[in-house]
Amino acid sequence: MSILTEVFSDLIGMFIADARMSAAILVLVAAVAALLNYGVTTPILGGAILLAGCLLLIIVSTLQAARKAR
Amino acid sequence: MDWSTAAPAISAAFLASTVEVVEAFTIILAVATLRSWKPALIGTFAALAVLGAIIVVLGPLLDRVPIHYLQLFIGVLLLMFGMGWLRKASLRASGVIALHDEDAIFARESSAFEKEAGVSETSLDWLAGIASFKAVLLEGLEVVFIVIAVGAGRGLLWPAAMGALAACAVVLAIGVVIRKPLSRVPENTLKFGVGVMLSAFGVFWTGEGLGIDWPGGDLALLYFAAAFLATGLFAAYLTRTSKPEVKA
Repeated sequence: MSILTEVFSDLIGMFIADARMSAAILVLVAAVAALLNYGVTTPILGGAILLAGCLLLIIVSTLQAARKAR
Repeated sequence: MDWSTAAPAISAAFLASTVEVVEAFTIILAVATLRSWKPALIGTFAALAVLGAIIVVLGPLLDRVPIHYLQLFIGVLLLMFGMGWLRKASLRASGVIALHDEDAIFARESSAFEKEAGVSETSLDWLAGIASFKAVLLEGLEVVFIVIAVGAGRGLLWPAAMGALAACAVVLAIGVVIRKPLSRVPENTLKFGVGVMLSAFGVFWTGEGLGIDWPGGDLALLYFAAAFLATGLFAAYLTRTSKPEVKA
């Protein structure tokens, strides 16, 4: 039973090692989907927002983790 | 097969699998050195059988999911997984968290196993088998996910699986020859590269799943990878300390 628990917690940990970053990714993807769905932006601009958002998240999340570790 | 899409998928699967197989091999080697190869191999093959069963069950299900939903779902998971790796690799590169050290992990696993020395012979074999089983299953699950993630969106499951199998063959061949933990593998550099590639695939599949036609088609993967590489290096630069600490 402990093996199963360990496997599941490891599986979850694979995707949500940092809960805040994972939540931010979901929000970003949902926001881009909404912008595209309601025709607020063109697909190319939506793609640019997705890429730029991910790059920004990496920097912010790394800085936060570094601050917490020190 | 279009090599502009297949090459990144194969190399991502190969590099990611190399990292995971090195980690699993260290634990198998620790178990085999302190106990014997028999329980280590039984545990390893039992885990490979479970992984095989997972692939057999999941494989046909993937074909039934509409491609846009599959791309979106896998793309988001890849973003979470790949950006997590990239963030951690940046923190390791900058010295904020310790580098992975296979020699130290080998020593730690060995010491944990030696503590069980008072237990009966049968129990020790059982513990040895379970340790190998868990290591191969946990690291193998990550390999299975990566192969599915980089391969399923464009019908490249087989080439990606071949990349992963090649990594297993290379690591095991080197491991069998030197019979020591593969501590010289530049694990953090590999993880940095894999994080970059998985994140690039994540943006690509997520965008395709949302109906975005990327300019340049599959070549966009290369631009995304360059952007993630530059960002990861920049993040490491922003957070760097004096010298990276080396710890398990």
